[in-house]
Formats: sequence, structure tokens, C-alpha cells
Amino acid sequence: MKNNIRVERAIKNITQGELAEQVGVSRQTINTIESQKYVPSTVLALKIARVFGKPLEEVFMLEESD
Amino acid sequence: MKPHFLFPHWGRYLGWGLVIAHVPMSIIGRANGMVNPLDNPPTESLFTGEHLFFICTSLVMALGLFIVAFSREKIEDEQISHVRLDSLRWAIYVNYLVLITSLIFIYDIAHILELNLWVPLIFFIIRFRWVIFRLNRSLSREG
Repeated sequence: MKNNIRVERAIKNITQGELAEQVGVSRQTINTIESQKYVPSTVLALKIARVFGKPLEEVFMLEESD
Repeated sequence: MKPHFLFPHWGRYLGWGLVIAHVPMSIIGRANGMVNPLDNPPTESLFTGEHLFFICTSLVMALGLFIVAFSREKIEDEQISHVRLDSLRWAIYVNYLVLITSLIFIYDIAHILELNLWVPLIFFIIRFRWVIFRLNRSLSREG
């Protein structure tokens, strides 16, 4: 699964730490999601999309291999 | 986040304290002539001084490791749960590998039991901390 978190963060001008705090996880988790090493749960994905004020599909996309 | 059956975060310090406390207890015990009942099975009844001493020191260490392994991280999020579960799976694999190998090659059931007491917990702690260390390192590399 791909994601646009890094881009969306840049648009909103927030750091990994600030995003982590807003969705209630550690900075490591945001970092591993951004680098696509960890796939978040549906709840966490929805929370992240809500922070950016965008629908889920604009932040997270399926890949060919999924 | 759903609640987990985990000890509070300070449990980790308490656990390491118990593990460390077990060392001088054992040394003092051995200096006073106590031997591991597994090496020298008591001929008398159960619950002799040696047996009780052995139970106490083993319990202190096992309890310490147990609390260390299952105390909450500062931020216990879903990725930590994932790492915890994965490490637990590896610990069980390694434990059974060691158990089966030693059952086949070693004719010493009592020591195998003792091994079985430590291996899963110690392996779990090492693996879990190692993964978290790697996560933290990749974080500091990115800045």
C-alpha cells in the first residue's frame, strides 16, 4: 500500500511528531508508515486522513501487488 | 486503542531490579553452600532449605523477566503491539526448537525444564528491544 503522508504533511506544514501526537501514536509509527514499512490499521488510516481533511483514498492507495 | 493486559511502564524498572537482585541472592546462597537441587537432587523430602532457596531465586528472576517482557511501552500503539506479537511468535519458535533439539540429544529432563523457563522470555525481550532499537535508529537517521 502506498501513501501520500509525506506530501500531505508538507502541504499542511506539520512534522511527523505533530501528526503522531494528533493521531495518538509514536513518531516511529508515522515514520515507518511513511517509508512503507508498516501498514496501518483501518482506524489509524482513517484518523490520519481526518487530520489532513481528505478522503482515505487520497492519502492511501493500493499497489499492483496488493 | 483497546486496553491490553500489560503491566504499567514502570514495571520495566521493577523487573530489571528483580533480575539484578537475583544475582547477589544466588551468589550469597552458593557461598553458603547451597547447590542447585537439579545438580544435586535432595534425598530427603521436598521443601528443604536448599529447595526453598532455589525456588525463591528462580521465582525472583522469572518474575522479573516476566514483568520486563510484559510492561507497557511509553507509547503503546498498534505498531508496538505488532512488534510484540511478532517477537512472541519468534520466541515460541526458538523455544520449541531448543526444546525439541535438547529432548532428542540430551538426556536431562530437569535442566531442559529450567531452560524452558528462561528461553522464551529472554529471547522475546532481546528480539523486542532489538526491533524497537532499529525503529529508533531509522528515526534518528531521518532526523
